[in-house]
Amino acid sequence: MKITSLAAVVAGAALIFGAAPAWAHHAFAAEFDAKRPVHLVGVVTKVELINPHAWIHVDVKGPDGKVTSWMVEAGSPNVLLRRGFTKTTVAPGTPVIVDGYQSKDGSLRANGKDITLPNGRKLFLGSSGTGAPYDKKN
Amino acid sequence: MGYRFLVLLGALSVLPAAPAAAQTSNAVPRTPDGHPDLQGIWTNATITPLERPKNLAGKATLTDEEAKVLEAKSAAELADADGKSEGPLLTATGSAGTGGYNALFIDRGSEFARVDGVKRTSLIVDPPDGKVPRLSPEAQKRLASSYMGGFDSVKSRPLSERCLLGFGSTSGPPMLPVLYNNNYQIVQTPDYVMILVEMVHDTRIIRMNAKHISPNVRQWLGDSVGHWEGDTLVVDTTNFTDKTRFRGSTENLHVVERFTRVDAGTILYRATIEDPAAFSRPWTIEYPFLATKGPIYEYACHEGNYSLTDILGGARKKDAEAAHN
Repeated sequence: MKITSLAAVVAGAALIFGAAPAWAHHAFAAEFDAKRPVHLVGVVTKVELINPHAWIHVDVKGPDGKVTSWMVEAGSPNVLLRRGFTKTTVAPGTPVIVDGYQSKDGSLRANGKDITLPNGRKLFLGSSGTGAPYDKKN
Repeated sequence: MGYRFLVLLGALSVLPAAPAAAQTSNAVPRTPDGHPDLQGIWTNATITPLERPKNLAGKATLTDEEAKVLEAKSAAELADADGKSEGPLLTATGSAGTGGYNALFIDRGSEFARVDGVKRTSLIVDPPDGKVPRLSPEAQKRLASSYMGGFDSVKSRPLSERCLLGFGSTSGPPMLPVLYNNNYQIVQTPDYVMILVEMVHDTRIIRMNAKHISPNVRQWLGDSVGHWEGDTLVVDTTNFTDKTRFRGSTENLHVVERFTRVDAGTILYRATIEDPAAFSRPWTIEYPFLATKGPIYEYACHEGNYSLTDILGGARKKDAEAAHN
């Protein structure tokens, strides 16, 4: 098999100069296909708080009425738990919009680079966005 | 931030009053055998990077006022990057085309590391320029191969993708903070010290007053032995595998760590890294572990590691498509 070189996974000093030396668990570009953007409009059927990534299951109804079930990759469940979110925080039936990219193997999996409610608010309300540990107030 | 900020404030307020520390709640707790008690749950989350950024060259420390401005800027950038594919972090990870985590999942702390009452601009304190010493050409190759690998086999993939070790040396040694799961639990007896690392659920076992195991036995986290020098726990680690590769290191990597509980809320951590085949000189990092709320959550990385099958399966599909075209 051909060896495809990956872009380095090193993310040192990325966000201005603030980021700690950082690697991701995996390079997103290794798993997901930049040429296959997806825009999913559907409803949450299940939230899996499993390691190493939480997965949000979303049923999407196509123009023909056919429903496809997608899995959307999110971050570490530990961070969610620490911020007070549990697997019941987002109830089944919640409508969501997911922008992301489909996995390279063609399965109905995508990364959730942006997961919002139909009104544009973040799915996980109360997201501080500051990266502060355990801060639910910001 | 509130809790951590209070801890920092507490650490500051006790400094000038050190002689009276025993009478305050900030006194260093001790185990029955008289050594400082390091037990508890700790975090090393910080926005202080390992290496000093170019724009702060020559400036090892920040005043609180300077730090506050930069901390706010960092938080604003993270919030601004939320949901965008073109963010600098994604560019740096080679994933600018596909996007990454929402900012919600990034838990790298919001403040610079404070040591001796002053905020630091790099974890590296020696060399004084705050940079990793020059890597040998072989170390540069090893460093690159640590992240890239091929797709022939699961064994070609980086250790973090395979859930064998945390990414970015979270378990180390030396232990470093990363984007999330920067939590640690220490359990201490006279004969052993255990450090549970939340990331990938790694566990370090430090044997006290013991000799290293045979050099023929190599371990992912090396072999750690400890002893007390006054009130400081000194941990010496050797016997790494040749796959562990801390920033291009060889299996002969030698790390000496020093843990000093400077007050109730703080352990000062200092680690010296030595590997002449990889680094042009020994180098040292220093930063605080801060007491934090529990619990530690189990990060059983294999539990749902769909990513690895997606990555290997995706590479095969791409190859098949290329052969077909």
